[in-house]
Amino acid sequence: MRLLLDALRWFIDPSHYQGSDAIQTRILEHVEMSGFAVLVAIALALPIGLILGHTGRLGFVAVSVANVGRALPSLALLALALIVVLPLGLGLGFWPTVLALIPLAVPPILTNAYVAVRNVDRDVVEAARGMGLGESDILRAIELPLALPLVIAGVRTAAVNVVATATLGAIVASGGLGRYIVDGFALQEYDRLFAGALLVAALAIVVEASLAAFEKAAVSPGIRHPGSAL
Amino acid sequence: MATQRGASVEFREVSKRYSDQVAVDRLSFTVPAGKICVLVGPSGSGKTTSLKMVNRLVEPSEGQILIDGTNVLAEEPTTLRRRIGYVIQQVGLFPHQTIAENVATVPRLLRWSGERIDARVTELLTLVGLDPRRYAKRYPAQLSGGERQRVGVARALAAEPPVMLMDEPFGAVDPIVRDRLQQEFLQIQRSQGTTVLFVTHDIDEAIRLGDRVAVMRGGRLVQFSPPAELLAHPANEFVAQFVGSDRGLKRLALLTVGGTELETDVDPARVEPKAPRLEPSMSLRDALARLLTSESELGLVYEDGRFRGALTLRQIGHMIRSDA
Repeated sequence: MRLLLDALRWFIDPSHYQGSDAIQTRILEHVEMSGFAVLVAIALALPIGLILGHTGRLGFVAVSVANVGRALPSLALLALALIVVLPLGLGLGFWPTVLALIPLAVPPILTNAYVAVRNVDRDVVEAARGMGLGESDILRAIELPLALPLVIAGVRTAAVNVVATATLGAIVASGGLGRYIVDGFALQEYDRLFAGALLVAALAIVVEASLAAFEKAAVSPGIRHPGSAL
Repeated sequence: MATQRGASVEFREVSKRYSDQVAVDRLSFTVPAGKICVLVGPSGSGKTTSLKMVNRLVEPSEGQILIDGTNVLAEEPTTLRRRIGYVIQQVGLFPHQTIAENVATVPRLLRWSGERIDARVTELLTLVGLDPRRYAKRYPAQLSGGERQRVGVARALAAEPPVMLMDEPFGAVDPIVRDRLQQEFLQIQRSQGTTVLFVTHDIDEAIRLGDRVAVMRGGRLVQFSPPAELLAHPANEFVAQFVGSDRGLKRLALLTVGGTELETDVDPARVEPKAPRLEPSMSLRDALARLLTSESELGLVYEDGRFRGALTLRQIGHMIRSDA
């Protein structure tokens, strides 16, 4: 309880809204790193997942490879990322963190996209093909809209995991909310540490809620509540 | 609405083999333009495979399929398919699209203008008996099975295809709805003049809808004839069994009182008062039912109030046995 009060006091201190360590700056950095990692993961995993789901080939291989990413501990990935990034002269902080986060975001996006397209009613796909839709039309206009709820669920899982894990970036000198946690621990300023943890949790909830809202807006009302009156 | 814009469909020695299995074996028959040909047979007889070779969802291993004389293999599959209506058993409506969007699928692929598409959708929904104002903006999940089948037919007809393929389109609805859908479908088909290839395993449906019935077994065509002939002269024991031991009665449903030779030396004033009045347009099956329930040996046939003659049980029996 005292810790919570301390954290609240930390939040209302105006000096925490100024300079390079300002709360809004750290939030922005956190969002930048997480957002970048998720976007790259989407760009990599979504097309592959959708196309493999459409053709029905190599799905097992893709899902297995993606799952290796899930099995790797994030801290180990961070160390690996450093080894890759440092010789390239990209420096500490942003790049190694992003590089370590991408393998974390790929598996749920890839697996969900693959499974979602596979699960689209084959009769619907055959009807579309029989009416003269080309394969890319089928994927874009039929399979993707029908797969969308599951596809977005995959992105949601990935995004929340990434937001939580981006905190580790502070170990390799990145910005973001992890700074408060790592620095707070090092300096034994537990109000700062606790405030950082609260901010990460809140950000994860906001991300989750925004993607849920996006799903609601993007998914056709025809499949939102199958069988029920709209 | 234009009639006779259907195209003829000809199978020439068409076969389909999957590795060492023969799904369709040297199939040959011709469906004249504007007619309905029903492919009927037990499961595994190759009827659905044959149907799918017309729009190249399945490619034939050998032989040719000609639509108005042109080999289907000569055309790009997607272009070909946009000219061929396709309805499947589960309908395959796109659940994320409204009814209007579903019906507009092929016109959109053909890049019709927006107004033309809207007008066509309204016309088609009206044609299949769905009020466009009520249904256009709904989603498939909000419709009953019968309504969805109607949308499926409307969608297949959207770009006025000369040929339509239907794979057990009425299989998933209850018998009463199916009966009505069949009736409406016949009317629509006659008004549009579309050539239809129709797959079913239900011999009664085949007899009711087909101008020609193709009975298949094990990938081969066993008999190809108009339904009345199929019932009168089954080509072999398999067909006889498949059409059922009541094929005589089924045949009566296809014959009319007007097409039967009547006894004219009967004085309508002198016959028993129980004798039912019949009309020439009535099927012999309905006439027989009337006779049997009326306890009378004969029925009196009137056309526009004028006595035409009497129909007796003997004559009905004669028609069952006759060649026609």
